[in-house]
Amino acid sequence: MGNEQRRFGMLALLLALALALAACGQPAPGTGGGTTGGGTTGTTPAPSGEPIKIGAIFDLTGATADVGTPYSKGQIAYIDWRNANGGVAGRPLQLISQDYAYEVPRAEELYTQFVTQDKVVVFSGWGTGDTEALKGRISEDQIPFISASYSAELADPAKTPYNFLVAPTYSDQMIIAMKWALEDWKAKGNTGAPKFAYLFNDSPFGRSPLADGTAFAQANGVETPLEVPSPRGATDLTPQLTQIRDFGANYVFLQNVSTPAALAVKNAKSLGLDIQFICLNWCANELLIKLAGADAEGVVGAIPFDPAAEGAKVALEFAKEKGIDYGGADSTFVQGWTAMSILVSGIEKTLAEGKELTGENIKNALETMGAIDTGGVTQPVVFSATDHAGAKSLRMFRVENGKWVAITDFISAR
Amino acid sequence: MQSGTFHTTYAADMALRPYWPQRLRIALVLVAVLVFPWFADRYWLNLANTIAIAAIGAIGLNILVGYTGQISIGQGGFMAVGAFSAGLMAARLGMPMWLTVPIASLFTAFVGAFFGLPSLRLKGLYLAIATLAAQEIITWVLTHGKLLGIGESLSIPRETSNLFGIPMTAIGNPDFAFYWVTVGCLIVTVIFVSNLFRSRAGRAFVAIRDQDIAAQVIGVDLFRYKLLAFATSSFFAGLAGALTAHYRGIISWERFTIDTSILYLAMIIIGGLGSVSGSIYGAAFITLLPALLSNLARLLSGVVPQINSYLPYMQQGAFGLAIILFLIFEPEGIVKMWRNVKDYFRLWPFSY
Repeated sequence: MGNEQRRFGMLALLLALALALAACGQPAPGTGGGTTGGGTTGTTPAPSGEPIKIGAIFDLTGATADVGTPYSKGQIAYIDWRNANGGVAGRPLQLISQDYAYEVPRAEELYTQFVTQDKVVVFSGWGTGDTEALKGRISEDQIPFISASYSAELADPAKTPYNFLVAPTYSDQMIIAMKWALEDWKAKGNTGAPKFAYLFNDSPFGRSPLADGTAFAQANGVETPLEVPSPRGATDLTPQLTQIRDFGANYVFLQNVSTPAALAVKNAKSLGLDIQFICLNWCANELLIKLAGADAEGVVGAIPFDPAAEGAKVALEFAKEKGIDYGGADSTFVQGWTAMSILVSGIEKTLAEGKELTGENIKNALETMGAIDTGGVTQPVVFSATDHAGAKSLRMFRVENGKWVAITDFISAR
Repeated sequence: MQSGTFHTTYAADMALRPYWPQRLRIALVLVAVLVFPWFADRYWLNLANTIAIAAIGAIGLNILVGYTGQISIGQGGFMAVGAFSAGLMAARLGMPMWLTVPIASLFTAFVGAFFGLPSLRLKGLYLAIATLAAQEIITWVLTHGKLLGIGESLSIPRETSNLFGIPMTAIGNPDFAFYWVTVGCLIVTVIFVSNLFRSRAGRAFVAIRDQDIAAQVIGVDLFRYKLLAFATSSFFAGLAGALTAHYRGIISWERFTIDTSILYLAMIIIGGLGSVSGSIYGAAFITLLPALLSNLARLLSGVVPQINSYLPYMQQGAFGLAIILFLIFEPEGIVKMWRNVKDYFRLWPFSY
């Protein structure tokens, strides 16, 4: 009988779980997911009224978790800070968020749940693959969507009317980086054209800027750049770097997250390669310096969000005050904070105008509010009905003595 | 009380479901399936569609692994073939869904049979690695998609998702409309595959699984039936892929990696190898497990505020734990657990 009992134990457990699931089907009031509402320790009166629901998916355990975690902390911190300061128009913000492990099907499931059951009014996304997979539904559901993906595919409101980009697109970032590289090549007294190579994350995120970058390079007399995908979860990039060395590249553009980028930089050092590495957005941050140490010296980065700017102080001080641990990735934390603040500014304007909080109204508010000032963290972000690429320019930084130092003024891709 | 089988006609003897409780259960399930979408919201319809598509894929894999004993780690790749061939036909030629889905499934069957060619010489682990190679080759072709003119992802025009000229949106939101398509395809798949194993070909498959040399001795053409198993299995993988493409409206190779292949193997192991209903249970279990955990965490977040920071790791752990628990306590899967329940009530109170 013992064996049978065990089997029934398992079965009973399964049934209990199934029942629990069925029970969870109904939206349980007041039990939002990663809810952060109610952090009302400030001196301002606690926000009351119906909470404004914001959906978000984060990568805390997946392929891009190293930067996904500080980004998510920045977003959560902004909501907490906002609620501590009276919320929006006296109403608290409620963040409904969950980890999706960088998996497209999980992202679709969570998005549907937050939009249809929780009735979130805006959404903060993460990866390129999942944002692109969701773009059709985002338009159908009319949910203003700010993603951490700056894929150029998402910038045209004629195709994706509800997607907003708060940083230069990956294509623009790549072109800006190439512009810098061409100048640097000349400044060093070289003649002729340099050779470019890409070392990129093997995903839609990594491949997103390659075609536009190659077109720009070719138009400027550079030989077609070498494309080298960096395998997910690689622990050694020597074969890829050897390929780049054999090609004779002078500049390598890293479209990847910090951990693999740091690995590439370290491997290159041990191989004795004399190559200028240029990181786009997601590896140009403090994590890279932390992981690559002294080997990161001299790496150049295209950073759209400047943590040293005046506007970033509020975020960083709030984090210090609350003891939020984001692994020292200031720029990524500030990036998450800023992206969320822009999304919320759309809600704020809609409420200020006395309109109902619908996706369409928030979208119109974002498109008509003019330049959104981020306190110098980015150039002012401007959306219009025909252009959702809110920022067009950024500064190039270089790692000097273990810190990112701005080396150029704002450069625009066009 | 039923104490034996007393069929008096050949027809009764050959019936797929000879007993009235079985027929009653099927009728109840069908009624539930028909009633469900009218009460479910889009989240649940989305889950139901995901399960239905996964179940078709899992049944396809079960034909190969569970019934014919040919281990395959290439399911994700074959699904990608179905998804991209349907997607390309819809996006480039503007072909409607009711044409792209069957053509893509047939094409996948052909591709599957091609990659099944080594199966005559290879068995067990060796064949598993050969199918792994199929997975990798297909992913390589897709990521170097310039060969086929595919970009990073492929968008499928909404208007191609029509049935005989009637747009899907005519009957409601996409989740509701696709429910009838995905569940319809699942029902047809279930009927076809349940009957397949009563046919000559199906019995040949089972004979090959149980002992291929003995099967050859009694006259089963091994090569032909192994290829046929690969083709049939891949047909349903392609069907699942093509439905995914049209349902999601956009596809990228990220959805069909080796992880997907492993997930489908997990589905049929948890559900029950060599069982059609087991494949459905497995697909439902694997799809609902993460949803269940996140919903559970949301319920508990009022009591245990920190649960959300642990949830991601719980989800990762739960998947592994579920597989280990099944392998230890019920290697024959959910379908066996269900059978135990039925036996318990059938034999009660004289279980021994």
